Parts: sequence; structure tokens; C-alpha cells
Amino acid sequence: MAEPAEEKEKKGLDIGLEKGVSKLTPEKIEQTINDVLDKECGPRFKTYVETCIHCGLCSEACHYYLSHDNDPRFSPVGKVKQTIWEMLRKKGKVNGEFIKRAAEITHTECNLCKRCAMYCPFGIDIAYLMTVVRRIIHKLGCTPQYIQDTAHSHSVHYNQMWVKGDEWPDTLQWQEEEAQAEIPTLRIPLEKEGAEIMYSVIAPEPKFQAQLIYQAAVIMDQAGVDWTMPATVGWDNSDMAMFTGDSELMGRLKRAHFETAARLKVKRIVMGECGHAFRSVYDMGNRWLGWQMPPIPIVHAIEFYAEILRAGKIKVAKKFSRPVTLHDPCNVVRGGGLHEDARYVTRQLCETLVEMHPNREHNYCCCAGGGVINCGPPYKMKRIEGNRVKAEQLFAAKARGAEVLITPCHNCHSGLHDIVHHYGVGLEIKFFGDILYEVMEKPEG
Amino acid sequence: MHSVYSFVTGPMVWVAFGVFVAGCLFRLVVLLSQVSRKEPFIFSYMNLKWSLRSIGHWIVPFATVNWRRHPVLTVVTFVFHICLFLVPIFLLSHIVLVDEAWSISWAALPDGLADALTLTVIACCLFFLVRRIRSPEVKFVTYPSDYVILAIVAAPFVTGFLAYHQWFGYPVMFILHVIAGEIMLIAIPFTRLSHMLFAVFTRAYMGSEFGGVRKAKDW
Amino acid sequence: MKKAAVSLILILAGCALLMAAAAAQEDMVVVDPGPFENPQRPPSTFRHEEHNLAADIWECNVCHHVYDEEGNLLDDESSEDMRCVDCHFLEDTGTQPGLMKAFHLNCKGCHIKEAKGPVMCGECHRWRQPAADGPGAG
Repeated sequence: MAEPAEEKEKKGLDIGLEKGVSKLTPEKIEQTINDVLDKECGPRFKTYVETCIHCGLCSEACHYYLSHDNDPRFSPVGKVKQTIWEMLRKKGKVNGEFIKRAAEITHTECNLCKRCAMYCPFGIDIAYLMTVVRRIIHKLGCTPQYIQDTAHSHSVHYNQMWVKGDEWPDTLQWQEEEAQAEIPTLRIPLEKEGAEIMYSVIAPEPKFQAQLIYQAAVIMDQAGVDWTMPATVGWDNSDMAMFTGDSELMGRLKRAHFETAARLKVKRIVMGECGHAFRSVYDMGNRWLGWQMPPIPIVHAIEFYAEILRAGKIKVAKKFSRPVTLHDPCNVVRGGGLHEDARYVTRQLCETLVEMHPNREHNYCCCAGGGVINCGPPYKMKRIEGNRVKAEQLFAAKARGAEVLITPCHNCHSGLHDIVHHYGVGLEIKFFGDILYEVMEKPEG
Repeated sequence: MHSVYSFVTGPMVWVAFGVFVAGCLFRLVVLLSQVSRKEPFIFSYMNLKWSLRSIGHWIVPFATVNWRRHPVLTVVTFVFHICLFLVPIFLLSHIVLVDEAWSISWAALPDGLADALTLTVIACCLFFLVRRIRSPEVKFVTYPSDYVILAIVAAPFVTGFLAYHQWFGYPVMFILHVIAGEIMLIAIPFTRLSHMLFAVFTRAYMGSEFGGVRKAKDW
Repeated sequence: MKKAAVSLILILAGCALLMAAAAAQEDMVVVDPGPFENPQRPPSTFRHEEHNLAADIWECNVCHHVYDEEGNLLDDESSEDMRCVDCHFLEDTGTQPGLMKAFHLNCKGCHIKEAKGPVMCGECHRWRQPAADGPGAG
């Protein structure tokens, strides 16, 4: 039976969500919701829900709310109302349409950036409540297709981008050769047991940003760091399972990551400029595995760059001359307090820093993180329209002279790329690594 | 009227305070025992210094970004909560009753001041009511229960004000005032008024997370 | 006529006398707030004679009591010739209640026991005195 074309178009937007919802039964919805809310959630969840006085003071924390002209449906508590409160009020007896909307809200209208946690007078962790919704959506099999696909990749290959076992060391050796054209003695030490540092990246780097591995290798080499990278699984620190609510898979991934570092007997794990991966290894994955803090110390690139610059292991030949502005990524700033290190690094590398406002802990989210960009093309415009306020913030920084936007996080980088292009902000976006590589003293620079 | 008076100022007071105290203790014990059973990791992150740092910022008006963003609401909120405790505890008539019962007394507010503060509480309640109706982001998340708990809090002050001035049927207003106060006490542990108990814990946990793990400010 | 006029005068005079006597008895409308510094409420409405008639009280020491040094109530003594504040100072002294508490306990205590008479604050401490309202009302 052929459906009208219009109907088809309206559906088919997100096959994971549409098909998932079509398979649901009222009994399954009810049981899944109540299982998660009653059995998996504890007093923290209960206290958050019962303590909220419905004051709406979290609203202005949210870039979606601000970007939609203060539409209350986009306020943090508004999203909780449309999901958690209704599930509780109806004791799980909600329909498929509700689940579809809940999946859209939690996956594509919230970046889990936790800015709202800083605006709630009671410190209610609204992002945590949204992750509970994601957990329910996951258990109902209604996760948006694109991010679910990355989770499948994690499950099969222990990395986010379907990078196969041999492709990984192959890519490293390729980048090693490329870099040797610049520095003939450069190595990317694979499987060096007892090295001080294991360097870890997210799978998009070998997949389509291999030059970042090149740059990192040059920085490591020139700083004289004793480092290594694993040739086995465990090299990828990314974690979309954390964002789909697939905590079991998150645990598997992080165990592999930490066990790989333990196998290589490294003292520290240094990671590339990624925010969500930091959240996974420093905040969520390690805790799921039962570690209060990461079992092996995690050093984010920002911190690592600050460290080698402070120690004088890298000399800056000539500071980056174009004025830069700095985007504080939620996961490493609100999640790891690296904002002052980021400013130290910026000042060491660049002549002029033009602060955007608000900044540091109060910076506006990129609207890509939290797995939102990973939900893919169906939600791209929603993501861009949901962050008009970011464009306004960047325009203001540009008006005060900024030409380059530093975003030490992959998700922010990609998300802000979309924002900058859509709104015509006209800022060039760079990682710290890009600038560090450009301005550092190199042998035949 | 004597039997009603004796009932609401006698056994009902015991019931109200009993339910209030036992209810609060019960809620706290349940919270802590559930945390230790289901989410004991929370205790391992709780840290006095970071908790106090966070609580300290949030109990001072204008000490946080969000308080500064809403100056009127901030003033109203703080004035409201301060008066909410100040007036009933330091009201002369309340102290007189306690003194007559147990010979315990403490300094009282002058009645005129208490009267003004009572009006302040009522005005604050009206502000919250108007805000609930008029602000879209608040209205969107408002349930009938939100009006009910606002009424529960406002009622002792409205009736107390009318009883003090002996307007509109004095003895009935007195009885209503006592009953309203007792309803509020009983409601605290079992409604969202329990934020009186829990806000300090949620704030402390968030403060500990931000201070100890996230190394960031949460204000 | 003359006889009638005389008797009218006599009746009028008698009435005047009686009224004067009644006025003398009605000297008290409220409890004397004199000893209190900065009283917060209006003085308690209290019409002595009306109260005692309504309450059927004939012994002075029901209210005007006397306690000995050991704190025992002396049944056959009364203290209507003293001011309350002579014993009940503004503040409690030991187990002896201060003046305000003594009034409250004495009046309200009895009212509660007898289930008669005013017990709520505003029933005695009235902001607006009713025109002709006895103490037993309420």
C-alpha cells in the first residue's frame, strides 16, 4: 500500500526514531519508563524532582531558550516538564508520540552543557534529568539514527567512526611518514610500554582530521615528551554511548581505554582537544566503572599545552598576530576548570585575546555537544537556529576586533563552524594545536 | 468556640509540630539511607568546604550571576524567606503563648514592625502569584499544586494579619489563623515546601561536584 | 398636683443617686495598663462588676489571691487592697509569673477551665471598644 508522498516525507526524517517509535507498545513504554525511574534512579533523581519549586530561574541559562526568544518550551525546566514530569504524572502511561517528542527534546534540544545547573538556586542537575530521559529512549530503542550508528560503531570496533583494526596503526604510520618529511627523526611511538604518557584521540581524527595527529606528533616530539599510542583498541577516548544513555556500552569503552593505558604502564593519559571525551573519561565513564576519579590521571590538551609552555619545553618563535577570541567548552571548563589554563595558553601563543561575553563557566554552549551534532543532518538547522545567541556573542567579539576563534573541543569546533557560516560571522576557527604548531620553534622552521 | 479553641491550640498544635518534626526527620533519614544504599558515591564527593562555598554564594543576595540577573526577584525572594521565619518566631503573641505554656520566652518584635513584615510577606506572595501568571517561562511549568503551596504559605500571614487587626469576624479569623499555620507546618515535609530541607543538600552536592571535580564556580 | 410634683422630684433624685452610685461602681472599663512600659496591645476590656455578676463570683480572692512565702495559696486571705504589680513585677520572679503572664493565666486560665469567657487575644485586647458589651461576651 503506497502512502502519500507527503506523509512519507514527514516521517522518514529520522529512521531510528520513527521506526523505533512504531515498534513500541503501551505496555513496553510503561514498563521501561517505570523500570528506569523506579529501579535505576535513586534518591538524587527523586530529590531533584521534588525539590524543584517551578520558579523558572534556570531558563536564561539555556542557549535554546535565549535563541528562541524566550520560548518557555526550551527552558531547562520546560524540557523537564515535557519529559520527566509527564512520565511521572502519568506513571509511564504515555504514548509513542510522546516518546518521539521526548527523544527530540532530550537529544536535539539539550546539549547537557550543565549551564542551567549554575543558574538553579538549588543546584538541581537538570542535565542529569535529561540523561535519564535519554536512558529511557535508549531502552525503548528510539535513539536518533545517526548517533545510534556511532554507538554501534563503538560496540563493534571500540571507536566512534567504524575505524577498522588495521586502519588505526596504518593512519598513525602514514602521519608519522608525513611528519618525517618535516622532522626526519620524528616517531609516533606505538605500544611503548612504560612511556610516561599515552596520547589518546577521538576517532574522527584518524578518520578525517589526520593532520591533527601530525600536529600532535610534532608537538610531542619537539617538547621531548616520552609518549606512546596504543596499536590496539582502547585508543579512542570518544563516547557516544554516554550520550545515548547506553551506560553499559560506555562502561565497556572506558574499561578498554583505561586497561589499554594500564597495559602500556603509562603514568598519565594525555588527550586531544576534545570536550565530550574528557567528560567520558573524567566525569561519567570512570564513575560508571566505580572510580571516584580517573584511575589513571587524565590530562586534557589545554592543560598539557599549558604544562609544556610553562616548563619551556616548547618555545614560541613568533606569536600568532591576528586577534583571537576564546570559546570555553562546557566539558573542560564547567566540567574540568581549564579556563584559566586556556587563557594562559592563549596569551603564550597569541598577541591579542579578545574575550567574548559571557565567558569562562558562563560561556554559551556551542549547541553541538552532548551528542546533538551526532544526531546528524535531520537536526542541523534546529541546532543552528537553537544557537542564535552564540552568533550574537561571536559577532560582539568580532566587533571588538577578534578575527580567529579558538575552540579547544571537537564538537564545539564543528558546531561553531556551522554557526559561523550560517550567520555569516566571519571568524576563522582553530584549535590550540593548530596555532601552537604554527607558532612554535621547529628545527627547520 | 471554647472547644474549637482548645482543640486547635491544644492537641492540634502537638499534632502539627509532631508531624512537622517527625516528617522532616523521616524525609531526611529516608534520603540519607537511600543515598547510602543506592547512590553511596554521592557521599564520597560531598565536601564541607565546597558545599559551604556554594551555599555561601547562593544565600547572599546578588552574590551569584543569576541573582544579579533578576534584581527584583532576588530582593523579593530574600525578603520573603527572611520574614517567613522572622515573623512567626519573633511574634509577641506567639512568644506569649509559649511563655504561658512553658515559661520560655525570648525577645519579640514590636507588633507594629511585625505587622509591616506580615504585609511584606503577603506582598511577596502576591508578587510570586503575579509572576507565575504573567511570566511565560514560569507559567509554562506551573501546576495547580504550585498555587496550592503558595496559598498554604500565604494563608497564615493573611489570616494572622486580619486577626491581629480584628477585621472580619474576629474569633473565626483567629481559629482560621491557627489552623492555617498548622496546615503549613504539616505540609512542609510532604510538599515541594520540603525544599526547606533539601535545597541545602542539592546545593551542597552541586557545590561539591563543582569545587572538587569540576574545579569551577557554580554561581 | 403638688404631691405628684414632690414625688417626681424624689424619684428623679433617687434615680440620680442610683446613677451616681452605679457610675462609681463602673469606674473600671479596662485593666489598668499603667505599669506596662510600651504596651503592644490595647488594654484588656474588663468591667469588674458585670464580670463578677456574669461569672457568679462573690469571693474577692478568687482573683485577688494571696500566696505565702512557701508558695501555698491562702484560702482565707485576699489582696484586693493591693495592686497586682506589687507582687507580679514586669518580669517573672522565680516561679511567680510577671504581670502580663499573671493576668493572662488568671483570666484565660479560668476562662478555659470554665469554658466561658474570652480566650483569644483579640477578645480582650480590642482595638475598637464595642458600645455596650459586657465582659462575659464571647
